[in-house]
Amino acid sequence: MANTLLELEGVTIRRGIEIVLSNFSLALKSGQCTILHGENGSGKSTVIEAAARLLPMEKGEVRHHSSMVHDSEGRRKSPNFSFGLTLQSNGLVPSQTIQQHLQMVCTLSQSEYDLTSILETYGLSHRRHDKIAHLSGGQQRKVSVISGLIPAMLSKQPRLVLLDEPDSGLDDSSIEVLKTHINQLRSAGHGILIATHDERLFECATTLHDLEKESLQEPDKCEPWSDFGIPKKNSFLSLKMGWKYNASTLNSIQKNWLASLLVIGSLLALVEPLSINDQDVLLMGFALAPAFTIGLVGDSVTSMLHEQRAIDWWRAQVQTIPNSSIESFLSGCILTIFSMQIFLQIFDWRIILIGGIIGFSTTFCLRFLQQSTLRLARSNAVFIRLLTPILILPWAVIVEYCARL
Amino acid sequence: MRVRHGELLLVMGFTGIMVTLFLAWEWAPSVSIDAFESPEAQRIFYWHVPAAWAAFIAFSVLFIGSALWVFKRSPVGWRLHVAGSEASLACGLMAVWSGCVWGAAEWGTPWDWTDVRLNTFGLLTLLALFLVLGRQSQPDGIESRDTFSTFGLYGFVLVPITYVATRIWQIRHPGPVIGGGEESSLSSDMGLVLLLGAISFTILIAGHMIMSIRITEYEQRLERLQNKVDGRI
Repeated sequence: MANTLLELEGVTIRRGIEIVLSNFSLALKSGQCTILHGENGSGKSTVIEAAARLLPMEKGEVRHHSSMVHDSEGRRKSPNFSFGLTLQSNGLVPSQTIQQHLQMVCTLSQSEYDLTSILETYGLSHRRHDKIAHLSGGQQRKVSVISGLIPAMLSKQPRLVLLDEPDSGLDDSSIEVLKTHINQLRSAGHGILIATHDERLFECATTLHDLEKESLQEPDKCEPWSDFGIPKKNSFLSLKMGWKYNASTLNSIQKNWLASLLVIGSLLALVEPLSINDQDVLLMGFALAPAFTIGLVGDSVTSMLHEQRAIDWWRAQVQTIPNSSIESFLSGCILTIFSMQIFLQIFDWRIILIGGIIGFSTTFCLRFLQQSTLRLARSNAVFIRLLTPILILPWAVIVEYCARL
Repeated sequence: MRVRHGELLLVMGFTGIMVTLFLAWEWAPSVSIDAFESPEAQRIFYWHVPAAWAAFIAFSVLFIGSALWVFKRSPVGWRLHVAGSEASLACGLMAVWSGCVWGAAEWGTPWDWTDVRLNTFGLLTLLALFLVLGRQSQPDGIESRDTFSTFGLYGFVLVPITYVATRIWQIRHPGPVIGGGEESSLSSDMGLVLLLGAISFTILIAGHMIMSIRITEYEQRLERLQNKVDGRI
């Protein structure tokens, strides 16, 4: 009996004030390809995003491989097996190269794979070391579609693939390649759920679903996909990816460090440190202000992931999204050494460590605040930083404690 | 003629506050010159304490409304949340502003970042500001209502902390003037003006909240009608 890869059971979802899906159920088994079609606003993307654990539900439950991954009580569990996801907005990080991005998707699927043949079929092999930001809209879409297919391509075991309008922006030859890949993966036993208007893809479907009723059909026979990846275990992926994102863009230097150095410069413009060397608390506050500033600027990786909804792509795949925890701690330490030399003219490893902890914990709090408003339609416009003054009191207490050391 | 309770209460509350201000300036006794750096500035207390009292009532309404929305999905709960957040912001700002003016005169500094009472009350006011501005920045929907109500619900934890702050960690903010034991005795004339202020502020925010609930109801009805015109319902 075929495995059930995806189940949506009695799902009710609101978007805005409307109920978009009401008591909706769907099951996708191994070797099936279901195509969701219908007019704009009918709820196709909502089904895909609900299946990817991205939308809160009023009622119902989502299961991957028969295990609950999301329910209306707000419980979210990591899927036991990786799945492919292509969102309507690509979900790419523009500062990454094609090679880096696709390798990261392979790593997330716990495999190694030579991407050359796939990139060649989509006409991207000559651009593999180019940054995604330098590609055309259609080429970016191809990268996003390949990312959605890779988890199934690498695996001998059935995997789930969710594609939201994969055809949009693709040229005719790429659509043909996509159709071939969908048929090969379906024949290999993977389950594919696609939302699309493009009738050319309807030929790949075993089931056509207009969100009210479904009709079965017999797709073309095809040789199954057989070019698998080599299993390779990976851990701490979110931390490693956060580090890589930062290293490739130097985003934390550009945002967090710059703000901290400006704070040091502004303080130096106001006071001559040697002239107030009897005011311990004040000088300690000056020394620990740069570490605090690093955190107050916010997590540089989180803000980078807001582009093209990459943050949602990551939220769907893992419980902890990539972050700059390591950088915030190290930056806190380094800038505290720097400011300590300027304002205190001493070297105390305890204060350096406290500076690192201030940088880390302030960034953590800011990240928590930012992520708590991710559900909102305009999460960048929500004034969440108004709540950050809560951090001043604990910082002031730490400064007083350090001054007594 | 239909009686508009909201407007009536607003006028009554406003009148009461004006009378309170007049009595605070002209009739209430002055405090001991020895006990304060700036005794005349102490009269701000007749504005500051009732505003803070009204803010706590508004925060409570915000909490109840948020809880009703989160647990019951009650539209009335959401209207209470909106009304509570607006009233909390108005009263919170009045209390913080008047406190800063008094602090500048009495302590020589308008704010102290190490005082727990000042910080938690300031944060409650910022929470109300976040809820009001944040709600205006988002399209109305289940996502925004859930998010803001959750903040309203958890933010209420600051209210009891603010209340006990001067009893447990008194740093700069004075201790309680009522219900704080022997040190909190207040002369009867002072207490009378303070009581009048507290009642007036309570009536004022009650009127404000009734009007706010009515406006939110109209907004929701307008949204439904617009959706009907768009053919989405």
